[in-house]
Amino acid sequence: MIDAIQAATVVAMLAAALASGSLLAPYVVRVLTGSPSRIDRFLDPVERRVYKLIGADPGLTMGWKQYFFAALMLNAAQMAIAFVILVGQGALPLNPQGFPGLNWDLALNTVVSFATNTNLQHYAGETALSYFSQMTAIQFLQFTSAATGICVMAAMVRGFRAGSTHMGNFYVDFVRVLTRLLIPLSLVAAVVLVALGVPQTVGGYVTVKTVEGASQTLLVGPVASLVSIMQIGTNGGGFFGANSAYPFQNPGPATDILQIYLMLLLPTTLVFAFGELVGKKREVLPILIASFGLFAIDLAIAFIPTLPAVGPGIETRFGGFFSTFWTVVTTAVTTGSVNASLSGINPLGILSAFMGMLIQATPGGEGIGVMYMMMYVVLTVFVVGLMTGRTPEYLGMKINARDIKLVMIAFLIHPVIVLVPTLAAYATRAVDAIPGFSSLPTSVGFTQVLYEFASSAANNGSDFFGAAANTPFFNLATAAVIFVGRFAPIAILLALSGSMVGRKRVGQESLRTDSFSFSFVLMGAIILLVVLAFLPFLLLGPLLAYFQGMVNFLG
Amino acid sequence: MGLSSSNSKWKTYRPVVVLSVLSMLVCGLAYPLLVTGISQAAFPYQANGSQAQLGGRSVGSYYIDNGFTLPIFFHARNETNPQTASASGVDPDILLADALSQVPRISNATGIPAASLDGLVMSHEQWTLFVTGDPYVNVLELNLALISAYPSVYSAYG
Amino acid sequence: MDRLLGKRRFPRRPSALTSKTLVDSVVRLNPISLVANPVMFIVELTFFVVAAMAVFPSAFIPFSSIGDRGFYAEVAAILLVTVWFSTLSDSLAEQQAKNTATSLKQLETEVPAKKVVTEGWERQIIRTESTKLQKGDLVLLEKGDVVPMDAEVLEGIAMVDESLVTGESAPARKAPGDSLIGGSRVVSDTMTARVVTNPGESYLDQMVKLVESSKRPKTPNEVAITMVLFGLTAIFTMIIASILGLSVTFGLGADLSVLIALYVCLLPTTIGALLPAIGLSGITRLYERKVVAKSGRAIETAGDTDVILLDKTGTITVGNRQAVELIPLGGRTEKEVGEAAFLSSWFDDTPEGRSVIRLAYEKGYVPRELNALTLSEVYDFSANTRTSGVKLHFGASFVLPKGSIQRVRRKFFVEDASDQGMHLSGEETEIVKGAPDSLKAGFRVPDGFQELVEKIASQGDTPMAVARDHEVIGLVRLKDVLKPGTREKINAVKAMSIRPVMITGDQPLTAKSIASEVGVDEFMAQVKPEDKYGIVLKEQSRNHVVAMIGDGTNDAPALAAADVGLAMNSGTESAKEAANMVDLESNPAKIIEVVLLGKQLLMTRGAVTAFSISNDVAKYFAILPVLFASTIPALRAFNILGLGLQTAVLSALIFNAIIIPLLIPLAMRGVTFKPSSTMSLFLRNVLVYGVGGIIVPFVGIKAIDLLLGAL
Repeated sequence: MIDAIQAATVVAMLAAALASGSLLAPYVVRVLTGSPSRIDRFLDPVERRVYKLIGADPGLTMGWKQYFFAALMLNAAQMAIAFVILVGQGALPLNPQGFPGLNWDLALNTVVSFATNTNLQHYAGETALSYFSQMTAIQFLQFTSAATGICVMAAMVRGFRAGSTHMGNFYVDFVRVLTRLLIPLSLVAAVVLVALGVPQTVGGYVTVKTVEGASQTLLVGPVASLVSIMQIGTNGGGFFGANSAYPFQNPGPATDILQIYLMLLLPTTLVFAFGELVGKKREVLPILIASFGLFAIDLAIAFIPTLPAVGPGIETRFGGFFSTFWTVVTTAVTTGSVNASLSGINPLGILSAFMGMLIQATPGGEGIGVMYMMMYVVLTVFVVGLMTGRTPEYLGMKINARDIKLVMIAFLIHPVIVLVPTLAAYATRAVDAIPGFSSLPTSVGFTQVLYEFASSAANNGSDFFGAAANTPFFNLATAAVIFVGRFAPIAILLALSGSMVGRKRVGQESLRTDSFSFSFVLMGAIILLVVLAFLPFLLLGPLLAYFQGMVNFLG
Repeated sequence: MGLSSSNSKWKTYRPVVVLSVLSMLVCGLAYPLLVTGISQAAFPYQANGSQAQLGGRSVGSYYIDNGFTLPIFFHARNETNPQTASASGVDPDILLADALSQVPRISNATGIPAASLDGLVMSHEQWTLFVTGDPYVNVLELNLALISAYPSVYSAYG
Repeated sequence: MDRLLGKRRFPRRPSALTSKTLVDSVVRLNPISLVANPVMFIVELTFFVVAAMAVFPSAFIPFSSIGDRGFYAEVAAILLVTVWFSTLSDSLAEQQAKNTATSLKQLETEVPAKKVVTEGWERQIIRTESTKLQKGDLVLLEKGDVVPMDAEVLEGIAMVDESLVTGESAPARKAPGDSLIGGSRVVSDTMTARVVTNPGESYLDQMVKLVESSKRPKTPNEVAITMVLFGLTAIFTMIIASILGLSVTFGLGADLSVLIALYVCLLPTTIGALLPAIGLSGITRLYERKVVAKSGRAIETAGDTDVILLDKTGTITVGNRQAVELIPLGGRTEKEVGEAAFLSSWFDDTPEGRSVIRLAYEKGYVPRELNALTLSEVYDFSANTRTSGVKLHFGASFVLPKGSIQRVRRKFFVEDASDQGMHLSGEETEIVKGAPDSLKAGFRVPDGFQELVEKIASQGDTPMAVARDHEVIGLVRLKDVLKPGTREKINAVKAMSIRPVMITGDQPLTAKSIASEVGVDEFMAQVKPEDKYGIVLKEQSRNHVVAMIGDGTNDAPALAAADVGLAMNSGTESAKEAANMVDLESNPAKIIEVVLLGKQLLMTRGAVTAFSISNDVAKYFAILPVLFASTIPALRAFNILGLGLQTAVLSALIFNAIIIPLLIPLAMRGVTFKPSSTMSLFLRNVLVYGVGGIIVPFVGIKAIDLLLGAL
């Protein structure tokens, strides 16, 4: 249980996120709709030059297939660039520590992971990546993957908008999201982080003599610029292997709270932006209530156990409360950064983390959360329609059997890519390759392997293993899961939205989706679906650990 | 015809190729180097790791455990208690209670009255929630305060 | 609600378990015929697996840890019974539908017919059987004859008793162009009619085809439900496969039969089993009300309707307005108005016309010119001018060469025209009655006419103007008689967010008054039949699902365009052709019942789906922990029912099977519902069928478990 002050802190953080989200949303809408803005004076000429340089016609509009393939091709090209940099970093500049290039499987895992907003890390950045790699592979992909998420969400919402004729232009969306949203926001946040103590230098690691005279290396580098986009972009991959538990990435309570805030900022903003983007402001209501209601439930579950002030895997300056709070937030928005070791978190906190990664919309990762929530809304509307004898409608459009087929497939992909590789990891004895891991059927071990793939599938990126999972099987299996978990749902949901383009609308809907009752029905439906699909496995993992009386996963 | 077909292919893939390179240059180089420039100019102390100075030289970072082992100092890592194995393994903080529990040892080793040490510890108290939450102290900060408060005892470290 | 849905016109034929039904249900166990029902197909597949386990348990090592042949045999038997319950419900529903269809069809038995064959100038009558008639054949119908096939009158006017087919006791007057229903009986006069269907092509035949499930295509709503069932099946298949995989990798030793039992319990078997029966019963319920749908889809669409176009006449009002008052104008007397109205209505045999004559007669205004009517020129009612009337010729006897009701238009000149007016021999007078606004052009209108017309209309009555020799001399007040129960039905429709729109030829003030009296918020006045098509298209362009009724040929385009077009059986052939449903009783008000029945069908499907899915959820939480608790002691707290593994499996499977026959009556009867908004309907359904569906299995499984323990 948490005390009143801690509870007030949680409420204040959520309130701050909601307030900022609602304030920032109109600006994000202007970015995504190309509406005039005061900064056009500076950015319009820049963007025009970019379109000319890349040879894209900004006036061109795309259907869902064009939009999706443009996004996929661009992401693939960016992965290729980052792959070459990671493999060849030994021969590249800004490598003061002289780190060699990565193995191909680890490099592949890393670029897939970062280009998909996952940021699962099977390496420790401070001992594996050069400054050049941290900047031109890691930070670069953190920007582009977040931008891609926002773009595909904008495209999906456009399809649902009344009178829509197309899904927009991917290149225009991508450029505008970077120039007008992510780069300026990250720049400001990075400087604030530096002011609060996060290093930012390319001068190389510093070796000093300690007070007692021993030699110590301070692992400084371009940390702040990475941390800001990693949190703002719901990426989560840190400069250090210990992520935001490492003091240079998160020196104290102030940076901790700021980073939690940055994680929540854009996912919340995009929920608010949804209403205006779709042309019906009130339609934000069900998505807002369901995403934050489920988030609140997850938090409540995680806060049931007593949270220790110190403990294994927990940083003293954050304590059990902030470590648990962070763990729930980072999975609710599928960021995946951590400020403690997951092994130090109570099994119920890990259960909450699972819920965030299995639902993916509480409020979920950059753009993707809103897309998943729209999928749940369509499914719920359909079920309500079935039970009341009406052909269901959402936003005035009739939902037909093909739509439901697409939604079903999008929903079913997730359990398949979580459960099949989890079983395969055990069945093929691939788990034995992880140092110190026991392949015996224990709740701890099962939780860790299940988490690895749930985190990959949800493009979250937090994990129990870290660099220990740098084995060919885990590198390739998680890369495959990550890739499918990112692009298959995007393709399917864009196809769904594509079929909404130009669909007839009824004047008055029989079922009001912008009502409180619908919002709670939506929440119930999401819980039921996820619990149905994953209960047996959660029962064998974190729940079993909890009932075995464990307080963390170090047992 | 071969030319025109490769031309149209280039037309299709040109945005993909050029934009990926361009975005790498902007997001991967221009942005972090710009942040570095601003930071080094505006916040050089923080940007270089918030290094602690003692006797005119850098002895480490306030944010990283300085590895104290001598009995005359407060320790961030107490080998007898495995419960303190943190996530990063290098954080410099210990709970206030852990610091107070080390006072008798330091007092014994240095002859500084325990009450004075207690007072020093209390004056360096920090909290996980700024003014509330769990109290803790930064060990490097505390030890540097110790050195400056008792220069005669710690003459070797001034 | 039953009152809203209207009475069943047939006594329900109890679908008793006959040996025929039983045999049929067993034949349907053939896996090939089950493929259309994927859930049941899977259950049957699992039966074969467990049956094989019972025969060769050793072949299934390491998945046969229980190793008890008796247990496997029991599980296999219950699985087969589960499938059989499903096929039984199909058989029962099909039998019931066929019974109802047959009793309608019996109306069309083989009867003698008189076929008319024309050879040159000769007409010949050939006596034959109704089944030998072809489309286009001419038949002679004399007093006492049974109409052999659906036909259209060519010559002659006769009274026909349709009570056997439609239940309407008063004989109907049939004139050229009217359609005749096979099975009705001619009670007066003689006529010639043209057969319009081939044997086996009538609506009744179509209806019988529709209830044979093998030929019935899935409706969109059924496709959608199947999709949800498919999704659930996929989820559960994956879960069970994963548990099996875990069991193997971790060496937990789970028995395949137990996992299969868990799997079948989780599958949405209840709705899977009952889905076909629910659809058929929906059709049966329509038949019982003597409405023939041409497809199952039409019934569902009726349930989706959100705009109903209601013809005022016949739907909201009983159809025959009654004349209640004669109002003279321009200094005329009531007598003059009464006599003129009498004369103008003489050839008008609508109930309205007759009520005018009755009113005048009761007031003692029988015109002296009655004799002159024999030599009159009749202006039939025309929908375009919306007037009818008569022109009388006095004194001249003019015998037409041949024929009887020849209508002549000829001007008579009488030389000694005196001021005796119309009474003079050879003089003529023209009396016209009709809608006031149609009598304004070309007629002299007295002062105060417009005000009076509006006053009558605003009181909800219909003013009818009477003019003599191009001068309006007065008004007749016609009063509409509302159908009993209309208001209640309109309210029910509105509560379900369906928009009723009243359509009438009346002028706006009258329409408004009647509409507000019955609670219809929207109306369209002065609509001509051909306007209906445009109205339907306009509503559809706003993406509404439109239901309407019609009977005339000029209704046909609108009936065809409407999502639900209900044609009156008394209507023209083209109207029935265009519509997707035909009401054998020709009761326009039935459109509301049809919409509510459609809704009931969709809701029954939804309710059983909700019940089935919440059952699965409950069984999931009841059985899964038992499975885990048997190998992992720490999870024993989850075994809330305190069941043992084998008895839990058997109890759950038995519960899973018997819930199917227990729900057959609900599936066939349809759920009762209170018309209300979608959200409140949903919440009510969730409460009744969702929460109920979660509680029932816990109670049921524990009870069966205790029972098994006692045995």
